[in-house]
Amino acid sequence: MVAVARRSVLIGGAVGAGLLAAGCTAAGPSSPAPTTPAPPDPLLAELADERRLIAGYDATIARHPALRARLTAVRDDHAAHAAALVTALGPAAPPSPAAPAATASPTASPGVAPSTGTESSGGGTRVPATPAAAVAVLRAAERAAASARGTVALTAPPDRARLLAGISASEASHVAVLA
Amino acid sequence: MTAPAPTPTGTGTPTATPGPTPGGTGQVPALQAGLAAEHAVIWGYGVVGAHAGDALLAQVRDADDAHRTLRDETVALVARYGGTPVATEPEYALPFPVTDRGSALRLAVHLEEGAAAAWRYAVAATDDVEVRRAALVALSDAAVRATRWRLALHATPATVPFPGD
Repeated sequence: MVAVARRSVLIGGAVGAGLLAAGCTAAGPSSPAPTTPAPPDPLLAELADERRLIAGYDATIARHPALRARLTAVRDDHAAHAAALVTALGPAAPPSPAAPAATASPTASPGVAPSTGTESSGGGTRVPATPAAAVAVLRAAERAAASARGTVALTAPPDRARLLAGISASEASHVAVLA
Repeated sequence: MTAPAPTPTGTGTPTATPGPTPGGTGQVPALQAGLAAEHAVIWGYGVVGAHAGDALLAQVRDADDAHRTLRDETVALVARYGGTPVATEPEYALPFPVTDRGSALRLAVHLEEGAAAAWRYAVAATDDVEVRRAALVALSDAAVRATRWRLALHATPATVPFPGD
């Protein structure tokens, strides 16, 4: 991968522009003070999302072991995505979460919600009670991920656009195996 | 995963391995790379259809139709950006012999992997958002079709982390 333009943080696209605009109005007239923090690297959000996906697959496999054969290869794709994003981020990459895979306990969250299928922000991932519903949650997450990565790729520097485009296409193909 | 590199069989016969042909950056070279790939893919699906068997014919036809539509759209885009769309070759060399359902499906995977490589190249070859969006959709569709063909082949894994690598 070409290591050019890594430092040129391009915040592009409607989402980034909207966020920045909102921040500016709240802060009042913009004066380019030297203390203004640089905007976060846009790849950080993509990396965090990949790690959430991995956690979602781990929790689903733990809750529904019969899905292991079907889901493991997809989960491994996401691990490769996360590793590539860490490489692209360089020193800005946050450390990986401790002990990700095998120890994700099937009973991690006390009071497992039976039907919501939504992720709790406290770290535990709630998994629907039936395998079909659990796979449907993953399928929706893959769709959203493919779309998010694709949107960032539209305005990213070339090497990052190539990376994000590949990840987005991989995630689109995950939807096909989860159908 | 790298698409297998075929050996050209004839003198100067292009292979049915649609892939990036790095020739500069900008909208037109990016689109031409995708267009050249689509020409090869459409030729290749003729071979796939001849050997895939009746049960897969509808799926082959859908894929072929999608690539023909994409070819036409890409021709129009190249022209809009002031280029002369690259033409299809009269024939292409197959990367391996195609004689039955299995080899036909493997060719279909090969064609879609090549299309993915060309369109992924196109994404990075231009910063024009409209062209990038078209290339992203084409890359994604190729990756999905490659996965469907792998599923038909019972090939594992059916997905790759970086389509077009």
